[in-house]
Amino acid sequence: MIEKEQLPAGREDLAEPLVAHSQRERILVAMAGSCADKGYSATTIADICEPAGVSRATFYELFKDKEDCFHAAMEVSLADAMGRILSVYSPDKPWATMVRDAASEFLDLLASRPAFARMALVEAPATGERAFELYASGKRVLQSLLDRGREDPVEEEAIPSSAGRAALSGAEALIVGQILAGNAERLRELLPDIVYITTVPYLGQDEALRQSREAEKLLEAGPLGPPPGG
Amino acid sequence: MEQGRGGDRWRPPRGRHRLPAEVVARSQRERLLEAAVRIVAEKGFAAMTIGDLTKQAGVSRTTFYELFDDKEQCFLAAYDNTVDVLVRRVTAAYESQGSWPERAAAGLAALLELLAEEPALARLSLVDIGNAGPTAQRRYRAAVQRLTPLFDEGRDYASGGRGLPANTSRMAIGGVTGLISDELLAGRAEQLPGLLSDVVFATLVPYIGPDAAAREVERLTR
Repeated sequence: MIEKEQLPAGREDLAEPLVAHSQRERILVAMAGSCADKGYSATTIADICEPAGVSRATFYELFKDKEDCFHAAMEVSLADAMGRILSVYSPDKPWATMVRDAASEFLDLLASRPAFARMALVEAPATGERAFELYASGKRVLQSLLDRGREDPVEEEAIPSSAGRAALSGAEALIVGQILAGNAERLRELLPDIVYITTVPYLGQDEALRQSREAEKLLEAGPLGPPPGG
Repeated sequence: MEQGRGGDRWRPPRGRHRLPAEVVARSQRERLLEAAVRIVAEKGFAAMTIGDLTKQAGVSRTTFYELFDDKEQCFLAAYDNTVDVLVRRVTAAYESQGSWPERAAAGLAALLELLAEEPALARLSLVDIGNAGPTAQRRYRAAVQRLTPLFDEGRDYASGGRGLPANTSRMAIGGVTGLISDELLAGRAEQLPGLLSDVVFATLVPYIGPDAAAREVERLTR
């Protein structure tokens, strides 16, 4: 390893942000971990620094305080989730397929990072205005995806404009219940139920049940692969 | 009742000591529970201090700690109290006569009216509970479970055996509480009764589909 003194002045400027980047990531992971273990309000800076293997001084170079760090962790989680959800978007896909694929990606992401899942969906809504706003902005993206279902049905006027929001809250309640029960790694099993609740207001029961059964078959077939028949 | 026997006894008794200890404790406890509801509604659970509670309730710190271990325990007691009232009122309205959609709409109307009358209670029950840690969140989930029958009867009402997802009632409840929380967060507690058609639709749609749900909403809430 090159000692600092051996580096020319210019190199030093380059090297430090690189180190800081991974320290920053470790801190964000530790923040999510501690939130999962003991909750945000009980989390101390020491709870974050120790598992991240950084000093308090380093923590305060990167973040103003615990709250700032929490917001950064939320921003990263949100960007990851949006990236995954937008990856399924295609103008040619039927709406119901898009909802299913987006839900599948979202559940996979949450299941692969239970601590972040808990932080984003359980802690963030209750951790101050800014954290709530980050949480709410993610929800709005999902809601706009669901609201697109409104374009299809004939008697759309009879369906309240809140139908997509209610469906999303229903799906969220199920997901949060699973996380609180400590079963985050099994979130994917909820896919058929979530497909049903999010599509039924616009597609009707028969079609929503059909979509839900399709989702179940996908689950049985294992991780989401390329769509059958391309 | 013991009468005063001397001049110094004519003043109102230094009351507290005359009342049986449990009665005093009970009213002090009740004052603390009311205080908890008001303070949490005002500034949130995290910012609430024991000092806020004792000042608002007019009790000493010593009394507080005789009754509760900490502010979380006080908050949870206030919460349980609130939820009991809510669930009893909603259940009474739901247990009226009529078809499932009619009874569900009656229960939901009672819920919205009660929450609109008591915005502080409403916030405490549905929004602030998330601030008070995992214990509180488990209580919330247990409380919401008590409303499950209102929703799950929809399964029998819907042409049975349609293979609705096992979690249908949990998702329907989540939809209704989500819509209500959004109103509360936007500071529109008083307008909650206006949300009736939306929450009735959210309750009915997973069980009977959008067309029938829209027809029932039209019939029941206009």
